[in-house]
Amino acid sequence: MKTAAVTVAVAGVFLLPVAGPSAQGVNDAQIASTVVTANQVDIDAGRLAASRSTNGEVKTFARLMVTDHTGVNKSATDLAAKLKVTPQDNPTSQSLKADGDKNLAHLKTLKGTAFDKAYIDHEVAYHQQVIDALDRTLIPGATNEELKALLVKVRPAFVAHLEHAKRLQASAAPKG
Amino acid sequence: MRIATLAAAVAVIVCAMGLVAVERPKPKTHTVIIEGMRFQPESLTVARGDTIVWVNKDMFPHTATSEGGRFDSQSIQAEKSWTFTAGKKGEFAYTCTFHPTMKAVLYVK
Repeated sequence: MKTAAVTVAVAGVFLLPVAGPSAQGVNDAQIASTVVTANQVDIDAGRLAASRSTNGEVKTFARLMVTDHTGVNKSATDLAAKLKVTPQDNPTSQSLKADGDKNLAHLKTLKGTAFDKAYIDHEVAYHQQVIDALDRTLIPGATNEELKALLVKVRPAFVAHLEHAKRLQASAAPKG
Repeated sequence: MRIATLAAAVAVIVCAMGLVAVERPKPKTHTVIIEGMRFQPESLTVARGDTIVWVNKDMFPHTATSEGGRFDSQSIQAEKSWTFTAGKKGEFAYTCTFHPTMKAVLYVK
């Protein structure tokens, strides 16, 4: 999957110029990179939680994150290939990656309910962060209509995941 | 005269067949689109014997699962569909077991 995306990315460089930055200061190539990175970060955290958590509901949520975000990434990389857009590293994607790596390193030091709490708390913050980015930068910034449509279509999934994570967060909170 | 009577009789029979056809309409096929974490339409009324096709236009799997256990699609992959023929009258609230925020209802008359 990664190799295919890189091959497409390299081929794309020579085919079409990248669209210029929009009013939001991002171009479609940067948006594509941000989307792919955002999904990959959550897939990695989900894989760790699916194997490490001992809570059935947390495991189910983690597996759902892996499945859903893998599906979104397939659509995003397929569209980037079709549009011959080369995903381009940018401060947002780099920050997402750095935060994701930091989260994974922290989670690996934890076990049991402490692990579950840290994973779910981060999932709540992460999904909120991505929804904010979609609303403020990514959707208004996308110049290609198909890319914009994909972002609009995927937004409800992030909202549903956020609600799901918040429900788990509330059910795990100490009562009274 | 006899020919006229015969023609009239045939005409009556043909008309009667037509009426029978009207009284028993052919089963219809209805489509529910699953997209953007929603079932569209969220409320659908069908007749017994009608077929409903759920088409998953999202990028990841969903299910169409009735609360009373009347029907359960199991996982419908992205860009795939699942077909169910309504056999029993009733009101069937259903959800996606993966994404419980998704809710809809099927009425079978």
